[in-house]
Amino acid sequence: KRARQINVSTDDSEVKACLRALGEPITLFGEGPAERRERLRNILSVVGTDALKKTKKDDEKSKKSKEEYQQTWYHEGPNSLKVARLWIANYSLPRAMKRLEEARLHKEIPETTRTSQMQELHKSLRSLNNFCSQIGDDRPISYCHFSPNSKMLATACWSGLCKLWSVPDCNLLHTLRGHNTNVGAIVFHPKSTVSLDQKDVNLASCAADGSVKLWSLDSDEPVADIEGHTVRVARVMWHPSGRFLGTTCYDRSWRLWDLEAQEEILHQEGHSMGVYDIAFHQDGSLAGTGGLDAFGRVWDLRTGRCIMFLEGHLKEIYGINFSPNGYHIATGSGDNTCKVWDLRQRRCVYTIPAHQNLVTGVKFEPIHGNFLLTGAYDNTAKIWTHPGWSPLKTLAGHEGKVMGLDISSDGQLIATCSYDRTFKLWMAE
Amino acid sequence: MALSKRELDELKPWIEKTVKRVLGFSEPTVVTAALNCVGKGMDKKKAADHLKPFLDDSTLRFVDKLFEAVEEGRSSRHSKSSSDRSRKRELKEVFGDDSEISKESSGVKKRRIPRFEEVEEEPEVIPGPPSESPGMLTKLQIKQMMEAATRQIEERKKQLSFISPPTPQPKTPSSSQPERLPIGNTIQPSQAATFMNDAIEKARKAAELQARIQAQLALKPGLIGNANMVGLANLHAMGIAPPKVELKDQTKPTPLILDEQGRTVDATGKEIELTHRMPTLKANIRAVKREQFKQQLKEKPSEDMESNTFFDPRVSIAPSQRQRRTFKFHDKGKFEKIAQRLRTKAQLEKLQAEISQAARKTGIHTSTRLALIAPKKELKEGDIPEIEWWDSYIIPNGFDLTEENPKREDYFGITNLVEHPAQLNPPVDNDTPVTLGVYLTKKEQKKLRRQTRREAQKELQEKVRLGLMPPPEPKVRISNLMRVLGTEAVQDPTKVEAHVRAQMAKRQKVRNLSNPAKKFKIEANAGQLYLTGVVVLHKDVNVVVVEGGPKAQKKFKRLMLHRIKWDEQTSNTKGDDDEESDEEAVKKTNKCVLVWEGTAKDRSFGEMKFKQCPTENMAREHFKKHGAEHYWDLALSESVLESTD
Repeated sequence: KRARQINVSTDDSEVKACLRALGEPITLFGEGPAERRERLRNILSVVGTDALKKTKKDDEKSKKSKEEYQQTWYHEGPNSLKVARLWIANYSLPRAMKRLEEARLHKEIPETTRTSQMQELHKSLRSLNNFCSQIGDDRPISYCHFSPNSKMLATACWSGLCKLWSVPDCNLLHTLRGHNTNVGAIVFHPKSTVSLDQKDVNLASCAADGSVKLWSLDSDEPVADIEGHTVRVARVMWHPSGRFLGTTCYDRSWRLWDLEAQEEILHQEGHSMGVYDIAFHQDGSLAGTGGLDAFGRVWDLRTGRCIMFLEGHLKEIYGINFSPNGYHIATGSGDNTCKVWDLRQRRCVYTIPAHQNLVTGVKFEPIHGNFLLTGAYDNTAKIWTHPGWSPLKTLAGHEGKVMGLDISSDGQLIATCSYDRTFKLWMAE
Repeated sequence: MALSKRELDELKPWIEKTVKRVLGFSEPTVVTAALNCVGKGMDKKKAADHLKPFLDDSTLRFVDKLFEAVEEGRSSRHSKSSSDRSRKRELKEVFGDDSEISKESSGVKKRRIPRFEEVEEEPEVIPGPPSESPGMLTKLQIKQMMEAATRQIEERKKQLSFISPPTPQPKTPSSSQPERLPIGNTIQPSQAATFMNDAIEKARKAAELQARIQAQLALKPGLIGNANMVGLANLHAMGIAPPKVELKDQTKPTPLILDEQGRTVDATGKEIELTHRMPTLKANIRAVKREQFKQQLKEKPSEDMESNTFFDPRVSIAPSQRQRRTFKFHDKGKFEKIAQRLRTKAQLEKLQAEISQAARKTGIHTSTRLALIAPKKELKEGDIPEIEWWDSYIIPNGFDLTEENPKREDYFGITNLVEHPAQLNPPVDNDTPVTLGVYLTKKEQKKLRRQTRREAQKELQEKVRLGLMPPPEPKVRISNLMRVLGTEAVQDPTKVEAHVRAQMAKRQKVRNLSNPAKKFKIEANAGQLYLTGVVVLHKDVNVVVVEGGPKAQKKFKRLMLHRIKWDEQTSNTKGDDDEESDEEAVKKTNKCVLVWEGTAKDRSFGEMKFKQCPTENMAREHFKKHGAEHYWDLALSESVLESTD
């Protein structure tokens, strides 16, 4: 009876392997595969199925212990790394001071006015509506990004084309040709369209084949290629200073490129699986990465240390973003939740059961961080109040998964792009 | 008569010991011979002569010792003439041995080992020599004693219901030796057995008799003095046994000399190793062993008597002098130390209490975590720090925080080192191979089902057959009631009908749908699907949270969203479930909406429960207790949003 409940592989070679593992003859005279299978089953019913499992488990264990053996260690990077770090330190500290100063000033505003402002904002957000929808390409649109002056929107498409659209008219301005495979992300240089020359590098994009390209605004061709990735690069992100470019790679590392020196200054490991998203702190002092291993890490760019480990998600982290207030981090994950972390307290302050499907992106409102935008594969994007994390508005309208989203730097426009090949702009009425 | 039986008895173990020491092995013949000598009151010389064949060189020394011991024993006791009975036994033994020795012929130098048990018993059977002993006492006395002893023996034998053997044993010592010998020789096995029993019996009775013997001895104090002389003369006169011994002694002339320690020495006083001939036949070896064993048995009690006569194990041995009590001083500082320890302990406790209190205040429960965070300045929510902690690490001393464009290079911790932190495996292992379920065709499914059911049925039947289970009740319906229950149904139709109806009800699987039918459905389904969770009933919104596996979730979701017709009832619910599904329904329209579904690491709730919460806070508290307040927040705010729309 017990024998019948045991499932034995129908693959003869596997049956033989099992028999061999058990120390039984792999074949008897005149025995066919069926009899052999029956024999294995009978043996297993006597010995117990654990016998086979054990050997498998041992293998796994040894594998695991090998991995666990990995401990924190250091290696010496190039000299340019130290130079860059010092530069970042000099860059970030005044910004941090400035940010804190502003925060203090903001705090001095009486609470009543603050709450009224907040209510106003919420009201306007409640009235958010889809005001423009545009078919962006003939393949799903994977990413969208507003230009710093909020007059342009860059979209990345799986067709390999990146497009620039005027906002809010949604007219095609440029088509950037260069990638051959799915483009993962395209981002504007933080100074682009504000103070940067059109001929300079204004955009950076990455694709699934590991290519990273830099674009200017006056050409359809890439200005430069960044080579060094062998596998998929999921995201690129500019450092707030515009001097560095961060890329996340499926080879379990993220890189920091110094565009002035035109070299890779940091190849940072730490995730046990591919790294998906990266975000820089407003000050430029920190970088946050979210990996497919369900953990997030916050790195200090000056010292190179991992200063915070974001542990709590159950599935891959697909989105990470720093709040402009400087100490909140939001992460969106495949477990349908969005977590908000406090850098100062170094813990997760809230878990938003955000969506019905995996959360692809999270974004704080860029000016004050007063709300949080999340997009997910359940075809919706949602807006949450930032402190409080209650739902404000669900941006429904896409017919496919929401794959990318952005908020314009003035906070007025919200863009979402989807698997249904469209991108939509949302604005308060 | 030199010594009483009792004395002899007492002497015996000692002699045995001595013999053992001298010869290196126990030798009953020597012992008995020695006893005989002493018993007969021989003087040293005579005894020595007598024993010479056995002991060779060491005879003289042995005899000296023997006599010393005898003297000692005599002086320490009121000696008396022994009872004939016991003495006779001794003598018999002696002579039995002797005769045996003679029979065996003396190839062996000094050892005589009886080969068979019968042989061993023979001495009793052949009491030839006793005729010598009478010489030591006045014949009349001896006769009287002997008669008395014989009577006793006879009596005892009768008591023991032995076939009183027609042996010479009971015969008075006055009977002549020639007469006896043939009898002894013609002994039958059965007789031998009885004799053996007799011997054992006698040994047992010996102790009993001793008291009587002592009394008799007390009556004849003067006897011992001339005993030796008489014995000596007697021996010479009789000359029966000794010559016999002497005869065979001549074959082994090598003298045995023993030193004080009983070692064998040669004439010059040098130690020599004697070659001990052991019998090589298995039978002989066995015989030796048996003999030794018997010897030990015999020895034991007597030995005990000797060494432990005055020793009572119950009496504890107190030291002769009481020990003086000394002063016990405490080390200097001992109590100070104890006090100090107590003080520090108290301090520690106080500190811990403080810490735990602080922890409670700050909401951090484990003191360890507190210890980690305590040194740093605790920031309240919304407080703005002077400087962010991650910046503070690298800031050097004397750094001007307000500096606009610093160009410094003296930050702490900025190196070109690249960190490789330990990599942690993801919490959910994704690389487990996905196994495809076993899919069977309809036919196979049916076959499998048939087989399993048949087997289960067989098992059941087996159990019933073995009496492990009661046999199944007959299946009754109203229609077959009469046929199945027969007479019972006739006797009490009402009762039987009730029984039948109950049985039918059991089969029918009827679910009682009570008034709050939907509530029941939720609960029942959750229970059946092994879902855990909670249902919070609030005036505006009812939140249903269920946690469970994907399949269960799927089913429950379908139940909530499709199967239950929420709007057909007037009152209503807003459910919400989590973990993989939540739903809600609002009063007026009465619907159920899925609020959120997703995965969580652990189940937050226990078995499905309903909770009535009049206020929002109460509901939130309830969720917070389970660490899932966000479910409530979300459900509530969504319902609020919905109502405002």
